[in-house]
Amino acid sequence: MTGQLFLNINPSSIFDAASPQAARIRHLTIEFIIAASAILILVVILTSFISIKYRSKRQQEDPKQITGNRTLEMWMVGVPLALVILFFFRSLATMNAVLPDRGNHSPDIIITGHQWFWEAVYPGTTITTANEIHLPVGKRILMQLNAADVIHDWWVPALGGKMDMIPGMNNYLWVTIDRPGIYEGACSEFCGQQHAWMRIRVVAESPGDYTLWLRREAAGAHVPQDTLARAGAVLFLESTCSSCHRVKGTAAAGLTGPDLTHFGSRQTMLTGMMANDSVNLGRWLTDPQQVKPGAHMPRFIFAKDSIRALTAYLEQLK
Amino acid sequence: MDTILVPEPEESLPSLSVSNDQGILQWISSVDHKQIGIMYLWLSVLFLVVAGIEILLVRLQLAIPNNHFLAPEVYNQLFTMHGTTMIFFVAMPAIFGFTTYFVPLMIGANDMAFPRLNAFSFWTTFFGGSLLYFSFIAGGAPDAGWFNYAPLNEYNYSSSPGIDYYCAGLLFAGIGTVTASINFVVTILHYRVPAMSLKQMPLFVWMILINSFLILAAFPSLNAALAMLLLDRQLHAHFFSAAGGGSAILWQHLFWLFGHPEVYIVILPIFGIFSEVFPVFSRKPIFGYSMVIGSGIAIALLAFGVWVHHMFATGLGNTVNGFFAASSLLIGIPTGVKIFNWLATMHGGAIRFSVSMLFAIAFLIEFTIGGLSGISFAIVPIDWQLTDTYYVVAHLHFVFIGGTLFGLLSGLFYWFPKMSGRAPDQRLSRWFFWLFVTGFNITFLVQHALGAMGMPRRVYTYPNLPGWGVLNLISTIGAFLMAGAVGLLVYILVRALNKGAIAASDPWDANTLEWTTTSPPGLKNFDRVIPVKSTRPFRDYKRPEDADWKRQEVAYTEKPPDIDITQNNSHGE
Amino acid sequence: MENKLMIKLVVGTEAMFFLALIMAYVYFSLLPGFSPQQADHLDIRSTAIFSAFLFSSSFTFWRAEMNFKQGKMTRLKGWLLLTLVLGLVFLFGQGNEYARLLRENVSISSSLFGTSFFTLTGFHGLHVFAGLVVISIITALTFMGDYDRSTSSVFGTVGIYWHFVDIVWLFVFLIVYILPHFHKITG
Repeated sequence: MTGQLFLNINPSSIFDAASPQAARIRHLTIEFIIAASAILILVVILTSFISIKYRSKRQQEDPKQITGNRTLEMWMVGVPLALVILFFFRSLATMNAVLPDRGNHSPDIIITGHQWFWEAVYPGTTITTANEIHLPVGKRILMQLNAADVIHDWWVPALGGKMDMIPGMNNYLWVTIDRPGIYEGACSEFCGQQHAWMRIRVVAESPGDYTLWLRREAAGAHVPQDTLARAGAVLFLESTCSSCHRVKGTAAAGLTGPDLTHFGSRQTMLTGMMANDSVNLGRWLTDPQQVKPGAHMPRFIFAKDSIRALTAYLEQLK
Repeated sequence: MDTILVPEPEESLPSLSVSNDQGILQWISSVDHKQIGIMYLWLSVLFLVVAGIEILLVRLQLAIPNNHFLAPEVYNQLFTMHGTTMIFFVAMPAIFGFTTYFVPLMIGANDMAFPRLNAFSFWTTFFGGSLLYFSFIAGGAPDAGWFNYAPLNEYNYSSSPGIDYYCAGLLFAGIGTVTASINFVVTILHYRVPAMSLKQMPLFVWMILINSFLILAAFPSLNAALAMLLLDRQLHAHFFSAAGGGSAILWQHLFWLFGHPEVYIVILPIFGIFSEVFPVFSRKPIFGYSMVIGSGIAIALLAFGVWVHHMFATGLGNTVNGFFAASSLLIGIPTGVKIFNWLATMHGGAIRFSVSMLFAIAFLIEFTIGGLSGISFAIVPIDWQLTDTYYVVAHLHFVFIGGTLFGLLSGLFYWFPKMSGRAPDQRLSRWFFWLFVTGFNITFLVQHALGAMGMPRRVYTYPNLPGWGVLNLISTIGAFLMAGAVGLLVYILVRALNKGAIAASDPWDANTLEWTTTSPPGLKNFDRVIPVKSTRPFRDYKRPEDADWKRQEVAYTEKPPDIDITQNNSHGE
Repeated sequence: MENKLMIKLVVGTEAMFFLALIMAYVYFSLLPGFSPQQADHLDIRSTAIFSAFLFSSSFTFWRAEMNFKQGKMTRLKGWLLLTLVLGLVFLFGQGNEYARLLRENVSISSSLFGTSFFTLTGFHGLHVFAGLVVISIITALTFMGDYDRSTSSVFGTVGIYWHFVDIVWLFVFLIVYILPHFHKITG
């Protein structure tokens, strides 16, 4: 069901850096791996060599009883200490490069973690969107990270380190995306039942595409064209969907659930859980707890044709 | 040979008059440190099996992507209970079991300073564990992870009583832990045979002494946090809820102010066990006795200054993070040098590959892996990438299993003949070793890669991203190998208890006082104790010409007396 | 000797417990900041008087210990009783204050100040209560003649605990009652 979704996205390990921040951390990580491997190999060789060479022989006398050696003990402390000091300064430099002080820079985007979706607000515009977060390529962006309920954590490995979202606190993260593409990430602080399905998709676009997207996103919702979708729009308002969800340009103005103004333009639904298509949407509207147990959307008892109407309406919200 | 009076508690021990034919009642009413030690160990085995089954279910759920074997709420309860149980009711009781059993024996005492308090400590721990598990039938187990972050642990987000039972259970266990530690300190400081100076104490006893102080300083912070959380949940106080003005981050500070020392609390005694095992099976004294003690003390002190490295991603700022990065990097040194102490102990020795020593040697490599991956969390930017991923899961299991559990198993095979008077089957025990170590590495090595590939921890399922399914499947297969090995271990132990070969009182040609008494020791440990003039009194006694305290710079010229103590019925081959 | 060492370790670990509670109190009083009105709820004068009772109970218990060492059993009984009375008066004062605060709608769930205040002083009160239980037990045993001609370490042991409880109150009183008052005058 979800296999198809992940075919066209960029690989997203911590080594697939797509931002200077992630690249800095990758550099330090590789240095660390080299040093750590050297130590590990040393220990493995010493352990094997000593175990084999000094294995007990039959009728052997007690070996020489050595209780210590000051010089060797000094080396045992000195060499690791030097390595540790080296890595301390390397990591200070990286920290300051990756996460410099915010100064009085105001955030370019405010992302709030909810159980279980991401809400993104673009200051200076009227845009609020959810889950698929569009960002421009080549611009140094300051993200403000907040939480609405419990602690969440923003992590897109290809774009750099993670940062917690803590209720009552404002956290910040810098990111400069190198090239367009879709970057996968996930909530990395356990946040309850559906922590697993709190995936992140960052859609990085060239400045031109991004401006286009901004313009489209700022507009109100499409007015439904056919009768089925129009019936869905009416149902949406009547069946209290609108008390939790907002569809800009209509009376629906709820703020607890994800903003659905341009829901139809998203590739995935339920925070990256499945493809956004009519079949999945129908299953979800029939029984949310069956599809995503624990989700805060209550079950409404809809007739089959009501679900078809709602699905048609939501799909047209491009 | 001059004898030394054995110190005993001031008051008579009620249990000494109770005969063994009262069966289970005798165990329940016992205040004998050996019986309490054995009960601690069985408690640990029981919970090991329970928490093991929990994690097998979890690994089954994770075997393939998008699995529907477990509902998320069940999954969350299972992994929470697995972690909580393994730390508080497997690792701690096992360590305390060996401690109550062997500390008095190793210092030549007949019991703990406060035998009744000793029983109280055990039963409070037992009761705490029972209370934690009672939650399953009381409406749902705790489901917010073993470190139980606020505000997810608040009533609004977890309304089942599970977290209340978590608080109550851990408070009880915490009281048991603290009282036991007080008992250990008093016993060690007041009940050593008079001739044994602090600088002649076995390293296991030294590590327990340091560890007990660590427990006394660290546990109150957890107890305070648990009390506050109970007040929040039951009386609607506002400590951890941002909505009421409280602070979610305060929980993390209090928890990790306990939690990071706790990590060292379950490894310092293990360092003690290995510092007994390596010298005995290499037939050499420990390399750098005072260095091992010194680094133990350094760890205990530094342990209180590193807790924020669990919180590098909470946005505390580069200054705070930099400070704690420095302290966290520093604490790696006293931990790491010990590996070289043990390697140097083996160097030039005559190594006997008993199962106990096999675990010790395997530990050297596994713990180095776990230690090095631990260092990557002290390097803040790497932590920003890897914290809260499967890389952490791999790291912590390499230190908890490759460190703590390997140490406990090494100790088990080392001391089992002493405790039971029986020797476990040598061939089966070796099978167990290889099966367990293989399963362990299969399970956890791949998880490093999963973390780097972006898999967060504590997810009940995951999308079918390239490579994720295969690596998780491998990990699950490894987990079942380990489970099979643990089953084999229980079989080995039960079989050995019933029809194992009778063990000699000193099967390993060991160095310390516990081996001078019978196997198992009688109700009264010692009538008299051999003289203690060095850290290896029993060896001095067996090889008087080559005694540690006699040796200046002169190497011995004669062959040591031909007491054939290395002969031992468990060495069947 | 081992009893003394034992109680010193108990006191040490309890001190860490109170340190955690006090740190939480200070953290909340500084960071989000209790509003000054909330500090006004506390009656520093009457609490100071009740505190004096608690502090003097430390003195009376010390006198009890001294008399026990000198074998003066009648005086010992007197000082023990006096200690009990002083401790009870303190607890009565604390109960009185709690009742007044609850009437004024300050409770553990009413505000962050209530949460921090009742938790910190409540845990201290609990320790005073536990101390009084122990002291009444040893007082009863003294009257029953258990300690005549004995070299028991029980008075020294209980004494360490009882003085500790007093010292904790000294810090609590300073931080909860006096500091905010001082802050109000200067600020």
